[in-house]
Amino acid sequence: MSPEQADPLKKSIFQNLKEILYGMASHDMSRYAIRTRASMEHLFILITMGDMIGIPILPPYYSLRLLPYVVPQISTWKRRLLREKDVSDAMF
Amino acid sequence: MSLKTIFEQHPERRYIMFGGKGGLGKTTFSAATAYWLASQGKKVLVFSVDPQASLSDIFQKDIFGKGPVKIMENLWAQEIDADQHIKEYQNEIRQKILDMYGFDEVPEEIEQYIQAASAEPAMEESAIFDAVVDIVVGGNYDYYIYDLVPLGHALYYLSMAKVYDEWINKITKLREEMREYEEMVSRLKREKETEEDQILTELLYIRQRINASSSILTDKEKTSFFFVVIPEEMILLDTQKAAGLFAKFDVPISGYVVNRVVPRELLGQDIPPYLRNRIEMQDKYVKQIDEMLGSQVVSSVPELERDVTGLPMIEKLAGIMFGK
Repeated sequence: MSPEQADPLKKSIFQNLKEILYGMASHDMSRYAIRTRASMEHLFILITMGDMIGIPILPPYYSLRLLPYVVPQISTWKRRLLREKDVSDAMF
Repeated sequence: MSLKTIFEQHPERRYIMFGGKGGLGKTTFSAATAYWLASQGKKVLVFSVDPQASLSDIFQKDIFGKGPVKIMENLWAQEIDADQHIKEYQNEIRQKILDMYGFDEVPEEIEQYIQAASAEPAMEESAIFDAVVDIVVGGNYDYYIYDLVPLGHALYYLSMAKVYDEWINKITKLREEMREYEEMVSRLKREKETEEDQILTELLYIRQRINASSSILTDKEKTSFFFVVIPEEMILLDTQKAAGLFAKFDVPISGYVVNRVVPRELLGQDIPPYLRNRIEMQDKYVKQIDEMLGSQVVSSVPELERDVTGLPMIEKLAGIMFGK
């Protein structure tokens, strides 16, 4: 077997192993980190664009500069902040 | 110390401002100072952000919203149209949203927010000071004479700038924390690089703009702030209060200019009691000004025989203020 043929096989075994390890060890951690990151994103939008849901925050001249960057998040942010909370929130 | 000496001794003070209650002669003194400096061979821009600006009236030329307009050799005047500035700014934001996401039109809720935001009262102050930063960082002139809107605006903006600065510091910190989480995820997933956080870049830009605009008002090296007063009780009380507030915000007050003093020589003439009473009343307050401010009074300008409009009258006034 030439080294060129062995390589892809080795690579895919290694790749699979890496993914299994990632799944076992750090997937949860990164999921948690992403969730925290998302909560912070929403907090960030709240303190910059609070006026949008009727919470007066600060003079909006410079907030407008930030608006373009958060456009895609606005609707999920509103949904999250304005939805009703129940017991199941604590579970997930 | 006279006004002329102050300018001669401090050539580094390039931002000149006249402040005081409405209608006391801020615009007139701004124009006359600009005229004098220009005639000394300095390149001067006198500008105003007041929506009811009167530079147009004093120079007898319509300059509102037209950018810097040349009045005479070395002298330019500009009146900023805040509404127009806000509209352009909004369009810039809209365009950015369209470009970033390839939308045909701005989503409705976003559009509503943009419109609602500009209806807020503080929008105008911020827009005004942002426009001023644009003018001043241009740095094309030797002197910038800022015909201030009445005191409230400037004070309001200064206090706002402080709050804004703290606010920006907080959210920059939040943003940096968010960044850490993002990096952690990339490390865990073994991705190479996280994208640059454009919001963080934008926040730093905003902070720099706010600091630039408040430092124009508070820079002790480069700024001279003159209060305009007239010898009347209410004005004096008000000015004292304002001066206290300005000192709190570190605005460097270079002196006071007394305006509208009815010439005392008239007392020797046969004048009606009405005028005599006014002169006597003013006498009392002129003394009070003297006790209160003493050497801080840099110039005293009499009530002129007619209003100051047009270059010949401005020249005459400049002669009185600075000495021929």
